[in-house]
Amino acid sequence: MIKITVNGREVEADPTKPLIAACDDSGIDVPRYCYHPAMEPKGSCRICQVEVSEGGRPGRVMAACRTQVSEGMVVNTEADGAHDARRECLEFLLKNHPLDCPICDKAGECTLQDYSFQEQQAAGRTGEPRANLEKRVDLGDVIMLDQERCILCTRCVRFQEEVTKKPELTNAGLASNSYITTFAGRPLTGNYQGNLADVCPVGALTLKPFRFKARVWNLEKSSSTCAECSRGCSISVEVLRRGDVKRIRPVFNPDVNQWWMCDTGRFSFPEVNDPERLLGGLVANGADLMGSTTGEAIKHAASVLSTSGSKVLIASPFLTVEEAERVQPLAAAIGAELLFVSPDANDLKDDLLHTGDPCPNRKGLENAGFRGISPKDAADRVTGADAAVLVGERILKLLGGFDLGATKLVTFDTTACLASGVEACIATPFYVEKAGTWINVDGHEGELTIARPLPSSVSPLETSLEELTKTLSRTGASV
Amino acid sequence: MDMLITIGVIVAKLTCIYGGMVVIAALTTLAERKVSAWIQFRYGPNRVGPWGVLQPLADGVKFIFKEELVPDGANKWLFRLAPAISAMPAMMGVAVIPFAAASPFYQDEGPLAIASLQIDVLYILAFSGLSIYGIILGGWASNSKFSLLGAIRASAQMISYELALILSIMAVVVMTGSFQMNEIANAQGGAIWNWNIFSQPLAFILFLIATFAETNRHPFDFAECEPELVGGFHTEFSSMRFALFFLGEYCAIFVMCCMTVLFFLGGYHVPFMEDAPWFLQVGAMLTKVIALLFLFIWVRWTIPRFRFDQLMDLGWKRFLPLALANLLVTGAIASGVF
Amino acid sequence: MVIVKRKQLSFSEKLYLPEILKGMSMTFRAMFKPRTTRQYPEEPLPVNEVTRGQPRLATNDEDGSIRCVSCGLCEAACPAYAITIDGQDTDRNAITIGGDVTEKFIEREPESFDIDMLRCILCGFCEEACPKDAIFMSDELELADFNRNDLIYGLDKLKRPVSQLRPRIDYIYKVNERWQAPSSTR
Repeated sequence: MIKITVNGREVEADPTKPLIAACDDSGIDVPRYCYHPAMEPKGSCRICQVEVSEGGRPGRVMAACRTQVSEGMVVNTEADGAHDARRECLEFLLKNHPLDCPICDKAGECTLQDYSFQEQQAAGRTGEPRANLEKRVDLGDVIMLDQERCILCTRCVRFQEEVTKKPELTNAGLASNSYITTFAGRPLTGNYQGNLADVCPVGALTLKPFRFKARVWNLEKSSSTCAECSRGCSISVEVLRRGDVKRIRPVFNPDVNQWWMCDTGRFSFPEVNDPERLLGGLVANGADLMGSTTGEAIKHAASVLSTSGSKVLIASPFLTVEEAERVQPLAAAIGAELLFVSPDANDLKDDLLHTGDPCPNRKGLENAGFRGISPKDAADRVTGADAAVLVGERILKLLGGFDLGATKLVTFDTTACLASGVEACIATPFYVEKAGTWINVDGHEGELTIARPLPSSVSPLETSLEELTKTLSRTGASV
Repeated sequence: MDMLITIGVIVAKLTCIYGGMVVIAALTTLAERKVSAWIQFRYGPNRVGPWGVLQPLADGVKFIFKEELVPDGANKWLFRLAPAISAMPAMMGVAVIPFAAASPFYQDEGPLAIASLQIDVLYILAFSGLSIYGIILGGWASNSKFSLLGAIRASAQMISYELALILSIMAVVVMTGSFQMNEIANAQGGAIWNWNIFSQPLAFILFLIATFAETNRHPFDFAECEPELVGGFHTEFSSMRFALFFLGEYCAIFVMCCMTVLFFLGGYHVPFMEDAPWFLQVGAMLTKVIALLFLFIWVRWTIPRFRFDQLMDLGWKRFLPLALANLLVTGAIASGVF
Repeated sequence: MVIVKRKQLSFSEKLYLPEILKGMSMTFRAMFKPRTTRQYPEEPLPVNEVTRGQPRLATNDEDGSIRCVSCGLCEAACPAYAITIDGQDTDRNAITIGGDVTEKFIEREPESFDIDMLRCILCGFCEEACPKDAIFMSDELELADFNRNDLIYGLDKLKRPVSQLRPRIDYIYKVNERWQAPSSTR
């Protein structure tokens, strides 16, 4: 660690990192397009220019991402010369950048917009026409490339070279005719393509599943944890008008996922936008299921459970730690073992993030005394018992279709189970609608927050479970 | 048979005169709104019927369909009675107003009036004095401070101005030597300068101004006085009871205008035309009354409201001495002192 | 302290009556002056290009295509939160202004564009915010309806050909200098 002065303040800097990292660490914002802390600095955009003086010599303007820190260096990020240099840089960048902001998905979180506004650089002096490039290049299922908007920072190229280690994109052409493309226009592959749209500082690389779905300033963002594997990446859940989740993006978390997340998790939001979700509850009425309130369904479930013989309880690996605590007394009340469904590892495992294990809270459940069993085993146990309780999001999906036989079934899930023999279905929230904790594969606690309001007819799973336990103990006392 | 004819004649007279009065009162409310609109560069009601003439009818229908509210703590009986009591004196008063020198009805003698008394001037004054009871009862029974204040003001005002009103008429009565209104009117027949307005100008002015106060009209409408008392004595009234107060007020104005015409403006006589046929006399009478009604409205939309102490000051310190002096001088002249 | 001297009244003023007669003559003369009331349904409101009526979405005269690209700036500018827009992808070909193709193609168009006229305050911020000359205040002011749902205007109710909105568009260009440059230079 060495000492440098930034904007009149003495800060400590890591000599192995460039100057811009020292500025970041001391909380001073320096504009950047090509620099990304996860990748080698390239110095292609020149927007990060700051004034640096060493050994008492007059300051010189240089790119902060390509400058090594040295002892006693004096840096001024707000010098007039630095601002002039940034404005000139912006004028060049905007020379070929189309005024697409009204249709561009990046508008609102685009650093080109931000810095143009910050530096008051909007007008250009050139009268030449803009570069005429391809506006819609389809790069597979995830990414859409607009070459006109590209400012050639090559973050995407370096992301693939340095992070996923599977280079597909490249900077083709020479000098002012450069453009980003794939070899022979082949589509991109891999499970980390979505990150390209995140690293792109402008709207050149955009997500196809999010294309024109919402304006980003209308999205309400809440931090949460990804549900698709036991890595538990920190994510931001982005909800449009308190309704559908429109986008999931990674949030920087140095302990878990750095800046990245896989496409499996990123595009898992249709799961929580299910238009056919269960609201309230369903209660068996002869051979049919009848809609009811959660309270009525719980009452019915309690009467069914208190009159049945052998009982099993199978939990979902999506239960939070807090919900698992509420399942324990319920299992004790009906005399069932603590079990959860643990599907086999899928083939999505890779070296970067995905663990292949689809149980986001395996550690948390095991800590709470639950034992994992295979879906087949679980189905057999359900069929073998007089009554069964299935608790948690996606439990029905994980168990798959099975024949209930004579078993009386009570489910707590976001969807209804319509098989014959189902006695009560009680609606539960999706993981984006609850607060809680998941413990990931490394023992790291991932927090869930309420990203959108719960429908009024659905009560939190904790409440439903407590209610059922309480009703059971009351009926048990009366019997 | 004679009995039946007499009853028939009375019923016919009642129908014509009361019907006519109510229609004129209703049209006066329309005229009020029209004239106020003209003075303020507006059009006034012009949606119901041609030129809006059916507006009073629409108002009446609306009043009937309005909810009738009786406030908590109100004296229910008196509250319901007050509007009727308020409208009654004017209705009683019109009974002695002669509309022509001779009645056109079969076997009906005397002037064209429902009843012709020896002392009909006293009778009509007595009933106009009673009209304050409706206001006081309405204001008191509402159990509202605004209503009560309006009622108290109205009674104080009535007492102050009734004196000047009666004393100014007394000058005319002394001149004519009769308490009968048709005789007072007959004394003004013939040439226009026979009208009492020329022989008793001071009495006329005093009487006219006192009638404004007596009927609670601008600039002396202290009983209502919206900026100070919300609505005065009728603040709490709604629906047809409110309408009845309104009707009573306009009937009172009509009766007062009839009195002014009979006492000072030649009554039912057509100027320069002795023994005019009865319909011309009725026409002359109504023309004069309508002109006076217009004056009432015109004054209302011209002159701002007095202050209450100014009103009392004017009534007791100016009008009463002037009216007394006028009566004294008239009496002296009539009895030949000079 | 200000001492205000009362005006000394002359005898005729003290007598009131002459002054009252003066006032009455004034109100009498007022009765014959021209009326200032507008007889509304028969006599319609004067509308011109300055009138800010119901906002309308401009469609091109050539092909009837909508100019809006659902950028959401009017939605963001709307102080009454009256506008709700959902966008969608489109291959529709370009805006043509005066016969020139001004943009290669439009990538985005509104899937739904709702203005809640119960909330709209006719302020014209949407018109000012629009970067594509797509929304303008028309001179249509009579918006009453019998049903709340019918007052949430969708795309079908909002579309108007540009030629109908021409006076307003010219007016906006005139008063707003930064709109002077035609959009074809973008």
